Amino acid sequence: MNKRMSLIVSITVLLLAALVVSVPMVGAQDPAPEPTPIVAEMGSGSIKVSFWSGLTGSDGTTLNEMLAQFSAEHPEYAITHEIIPWGTMYTKTQAAFVAGNPPDLMLMHASEIPQFAGYGVLEDLSSWYSNNGGWFPIDDISGPTLDGLTYNGAIYGIPLDNHGRGLWINKEMFEAAGIDTDPATAPTTYEGWVELFQKLTIDANGNNALSPDFDPENIVVYGYGTGEWPRVNFQGVLAQHGGSILSEDGKTVTVNSPEGILALQQTYDLIYKYHVATPPAGFDTWQMFPGQTLAVIPTGTWFVNHANTSVEFDTMAWPQVQWGPEKGTWFGQHVFMLPVGSAGEKREAVETILRWISDHQVDWAASGQVPARLSAQAALDPVNYPSNILLGQTFSEYGVQDPKSPVVQEMYAILEPELDAALNNLKTPEQALNDAAERMQQAVDRAF
Amino acid sequence: MTSMTAGLPDVNRPRSPFTLNLKRREAIAAYLFLLPFLAFFAVFTIRAVINAVQISFYEYQILRPTRPFIGFDNYLELFNDDIWWQALGNTVIFTVLTVIGTSIVALLCAVAVTQPIRGQGFFRVLLYMPSLFSVGAVGLIWVWLLNTQYGVINYFLSFIGIRPISWLSDPNLVIPSLSLTTIWWTFGFPMLIFIAGLQGIPEQLYEAARIDGASGRQIFFRITLPLLRPTILFVTVTGVIAHFQVYGQPLIMTNGGPGRSSYSVIFYLYQIAWTAFRMGYGAAIAVVLALIIATATAVQFFFIGRRVEY
Repeated sequence: MNKRMSLIVSITVLLLAALVVSVPMVGAQDPAPEPTPIVAEMGSGSIKVSFWSGLTGSDGTTLNEMLAQFSAEHPEYAITHEIIPWGTMYTKTQAAFVAGNPPDLMLMHASEIPQFAGYGVLEDLSSWYSNNGGWFPIDDISGPTLDGLTYNGAIYGIPLDNHGRGLWINKEMFEAAGIDTDPATAPTTYEGWVELFQKLTIDANGNNALSPDFDPENIVVYGYGTGEWPRVNFQGVLAQHGGSILSEDGKTVTVNSPEGILALQQTYDLIYKYHVATPPAGFDTWQMFPGQTLAVIPTGTWFVNHANTSVEFDTMAWPQVQWGPEKGTWFGQHVFMLPVGSAGEKREAVETILRWISDHQVDWAASGQVPARLSAQAALDPVNYPSNILLGQTFSEYGVQDPKSPVVQEMYAILEPELDAALNNLKTPEQALNDAAERMQQAVDRAF
Repeated sequence: MTSMTAGLPDVNRPRSPFTLNLKRREAIAAYLFLLPFLAFFAVFTIRAVINAVQISFYEYQILRPTRPFIGFDNYLELFNDDIWWQALGNTVIFTVLTVIGTSIVALLCAVAVTQPIRGQGFFRVLLYMPSLFSVGAVGLIWVWLLNTQYGVINYFLSFIGIRPISWLSDPNLVIPSLSLTTIWWTFGFPMLIFIAGLQGIPEQLYEAARIDGASGRQIFFRITLPLLRPTILFVTVTGVIAHFQVYGQPLIMTNGGPGRSSYSVIFYLYQIAWTAFRMGYGAAIAVVLALIIATATAVQFFFIGRRVEY
């Protein structure tokens, strides 16, 4: 019994020691950024406005600072900003609509408009736009931005920003590999990108992936990572090949088209054929990039604050990869929306807030996102906001958004594990997309 | 005389039809004590269960104004849903591994910390401590421990020449890894139950066995284990019920991946109900899961419970 007890005690001590070792590592992921408050109250006026958003990152702090400034200028209002993780917020919003107690103002993604507008719970805000005599200049947002706000001919929100995909590169690794860091020199073909990643991928012996002595079993620096949000990377490349998730009428799933299979196969090949990219599972690109074991991280506009606080080498944004004949990159929008039936002084208060925020969108660039208004984009200081400007231009010029479907979230919940299965080599790209398409089509059929 | 009988009931007086005997009065008192719980249980549990069963027969989406009755269509869809079967398979494997692992670890630790050793209380607290953590904290800690590249476990294994193991990204290892995490997290409570069970075994049985020359192993298997059967039954039944509903660990540690290799039933249910907002289908999943858990519990009572000596 004593031996057994000794064994148990030893195991316990080992596990606890491992726990103690791991806790500082968890804490070391980020250099303790200022936590975003879950509920923030701005102002103490008599007209109270409840506002929900999912801005759990540093962008929540930026918006709170803007709202605090608004409140200082408008003491008649009191704003309660409740920050809820996006997934939970959409759940909670549905429940709030059923209970008849939604917030006065919501910040949601444009991709949610078809679902919520389809249910008839969003206020049509077309009258706030200048083409209908309203205050928001409709020609101050890009065509793709306006398109994302529109559903069945009505405009359901006031846009705050465009946020989407791009790359961050390790300039020092580029220079060491003899690659020009000017984004204008980025490759425009798949083969060109493969070669770039091969130059950047290094094994334990210091050989890059172009070397005949390269050892793919002992890679210490990867050129590219696939772990962060593979679905939106896929959507960008899919668009570059002329493909889409859904047919134009929104009734047929086309994700498993030859263009789709090619787009996924290209990513798959980077991992398993060329050995220059990490699979999604087991590799955290947000840890690898600052740790200098990843040369190019495909991420988004939101990465800028992480880059500024966690990266200790020279880095910069690049536009999204181009593997197809056309350019294409995914982007989404944060959009202010109102519950249907908004009226009276609350509606006036919300309108005043949104007018003020729209007029101060330049301040929102501090969050890393790209202000939605073109005039705000043009006013950005290139020294302080290079990534906002560079990536913002790509969204306006060739950005693609989520398909307009009331079941878009259900489709994504089906598609994402299939992409994950393919990129983790559990299915072939074709099999994964065929399996996804079959179930996605069932979801679409139920909606019509 | 009068003073001696004062206060005593008059046995000759006819009984009131409303007079209750002691047994009935105790029963009524018991029900009155239970009433507040039963009221809440009826409103928040029984009514919800009935609602869930009802919803499962409808194409029910929260905000959609029409909710057509579709009979057993949700159940038919479920039985033809390959993701459901994959999630159920994962859940069964996870439950079996975790219940067995938890029971064994808890029992061994309970035996160890009931020995007359110095620091007995300290070890009990130490071993129980992980149970106090939230699933979020446990998940984050173990994601780091099991990290392929930077994990402490792989780091120690490298000293004996073992290459990094993809604990959470290998489809064959992910469920055992989640199970290992859960065993570490949850064995504290069953350990307490086992400690209580061990303390209920009469000491003289052990003394008699020792006098008869029984070894430690014989004492454990011939005395301790048989007399712990009621406790083992309780631990395994509650363990199966709890672990069949695993959700937080796959959500935090793997998000169901790689692919759908760590989807659990509740993980899938949540996706259906709160991502796709298909409450009817989600309710059907919940109902079938409840039936499976009830069946598993009945089977446990049949195989373990019938041999229990109370």
